[in-house]
Amino acid sequence: MVAAKKHIPIVKKRTKAFMRHQSDRFKRVDSAWRKPKGIDNRVRRRFRGSLAMPSIGYGSNKKTRHMMPSGHKAFLVRNVKDIELLLMHNKTYAAEIAHNISSRKRVDIIARAKQLGVKVTNAKAKVTTEV
Amino acid sequence: MSNVSADLIWEVTRLQNAYLVKRKTQGAPQFSRDPLNLTNLHSRKHAGFVNPKAIGILPNGEKGVQVIAKKPAAANKPASSLYKVTYTTTARKTYKAVARQAAKNYYRPDLRAAAVARVSAIRRAQRPVKPEPPKKLRGAAAKKAAAAQ
Amino acid sequence: MASRPTVTVFGADGKPTGATEVLPKVFSAPIRPDIVKHVHTGMAKNKRQPYAVSEKAGHQTSAESWGTGRAVARIPRVSGGGTHRAGQAAFGNMCRSGRMFAPTKVWRKWHVKINQNQKRFATASAVAASAVAPLLFARGHQVATVPEVPLVIDSSAVAGDAVAKTAAAVAFLKAIGAGAELDKVRKSKKLRAGKGKLRGRRHRQRRGPLVVYDAEKDGKALVQGFRNIPGVETSPVDALNLLQLAPGGHLGRFIIWTSEAIKKLDAIYESKKGFVLPPNVVSQADLTRLINSSEIQSVIRAPKGEARTRRSAVQKKNPLVNKQVLLRLNPYASTFQKEKLGELKADEGKPKPVPAAFKEQLHEL
Repeated sequence: MVAAKKHIPIVKKRTKAFMRHQSDRFKRVDSAWRKPKGIDNRVRRRFRGSLAMPSIGYGSNKKTRHMMPSGHKAFLVRNVKDIELLLMHNKTYAAEIAHNISSRKRVDIIARAKQLGVKVTNAKAKVTTEV
Repeated sequence: MSNVSADLIWEVTRLQNAYLVKRKTQGAPQFSRDPLNLTNLHSRKHAGFVNPKAIGILPNGEKGVQVIAKKPAAANKPASSLYKVTYTTTARKTYKAVARQAAKNYYRPDLRAAAVARVSAIRRAQRPVKPEPPKKLRGAAAKKAAAAQ
Repeated sequence: MASRPTVTVFGADGKPTGATEVLPKVFSAPIRPDIVKHVHTGMAKNKRQPYAVSEKAGHQTSAESWGTGRAVARIPRVSGGGTHRAGQAAFGNMCRSGRMFAPTKVWRKWHVKINQNQKRFATASAVAASAVAPLLFARGHQVATVPEVPLVIDSSAVAGDAVAKTAAAVAFLKAIGAGAELDKVRKSKKLRAGKGKLRGRRHRQRRGPLVVYDAEKDGKALVQGFRNIPGVETSPVDALNLLQLAPGGHLGRFIIWTSEAIKKLDAIYESKKGFVLPPNVVSQADLTRLINSSEIQSVIRAPKGEARTRRSAVQKKNPLVNKQVLLRLNPYASTFQKEKLGELKADEGKPKPVPAAFKEQLHEL
């Protein structure tokens, strides 16, 4: 597999998830982020000690945005034809085989990816058996 | 015809065409399946079906490359609008020939580097795949288990 | 692109017959995807049939709200007793067996009126776009084997009973280079996603070539030959339809014209009362050609500057760090530095003491 192009270090300004207010108190409140809208809401008013709200400042550097730790970006492929698109981009993109592709087709895709020098992020899924 | 130009065709087909491949995640990359596109990128410069002059490079089976180029004079005659030539010689000779074909007579000098890069990529893909090196066993327990088999 | 007033006529075997046709004026109409899209959106709605839920659905009960004070929501509730239904909420769109939100009505505005001249403009534009090979490729037509675009075939190849049989029609299409297109359509047939499968729209498939003929001279026998080939459509030249010329509102349908049809096209557009073919806003759309034309090149002034000019505004240089930039701003800097003027002490020593008379005057009174 070809290593990714050299790039500046990937800095994640925050790696923790943004939890929805009071999702820790009630089972029925999911942790998926919802912006609090209440007039007295302490999270909305950014009181000390309350949860942090997502904002644009947490965004990643444009140069490393969408990058995986390997330095590639993922590109979803469904067939061999899709992977041919990455012929000229095996240093910037890695292929990710869609979840609903059978193991028979995965074998073909992975074989072709190896020829093209394209990294496949989920090459082991569905084609290897547990020992 | 005088009512059409490459710029107009690009504006008409920029947002939607049969070659365009879009993904919605990972920065929404846009690729192109156009055989006359050297980088597979969806862009005005590389869109081969739009430009009156364009070069495409395809693998010639197991060995060598096939270079296709548009004839600007036969734009409305699809069956005879492509100039095709195959190269099965050494890498250096192929690069030289392709670079010359791209840039000669002001054909598309801007595509010279992309054309050579594509030839190189195709040649690399035609090489036999190296078998993966055997996995190194880590730890005494794993080595013991392997020896027992 | 060079102007091309004529187009080759091809025979049934796919070889040029030697005859040419003058390209009708419609083919130089402006290509306007915005107008085509707008007209197509309207026209596609005009085949719809009204549907609606029953007027009574969800309202066939005499429910009344219980009002406040019973510790239940104030939604209308079914009256009476002796059945589970009694006391259940009714009417609201959030209720089980209530009516839907904003029930659909048969008097919805199903059809769209489109101005006739706008429709004609769109049709002319779609016809013109069908003569541009890149647009055909962009639409996904497999026309790489087609000898010429627009494709005009000799009427003798289809007139009478020449292609009245499907087998003959398929052989004819293959001979003129449309074989790849037929294969593409045949392989594209897929089950439709969703409920449309149950409503008479079971499959989806691509559109293939559109055969345009002249009903008077070519006869109608060819319709029977082509109608069972997947994707192939036929249309008489005096009834061109935008839904066929630009399916989905996307320009560049692959059209096979008979020579009689293309001959008639000019007469058809001349006979349309109150409609002149829209002129192009620019008579030459190719900007590179315009810029490089002798007319423009002869009146523009020579480029300023050298072959290589310094790009001064690219990056700001700090004159305190970069000596060249400092000298450009302050030519005196070199002398200043050479003679070490910055290190000189002021000549005078201590300031002179103030004369006593001045102090005296200051403190007077």
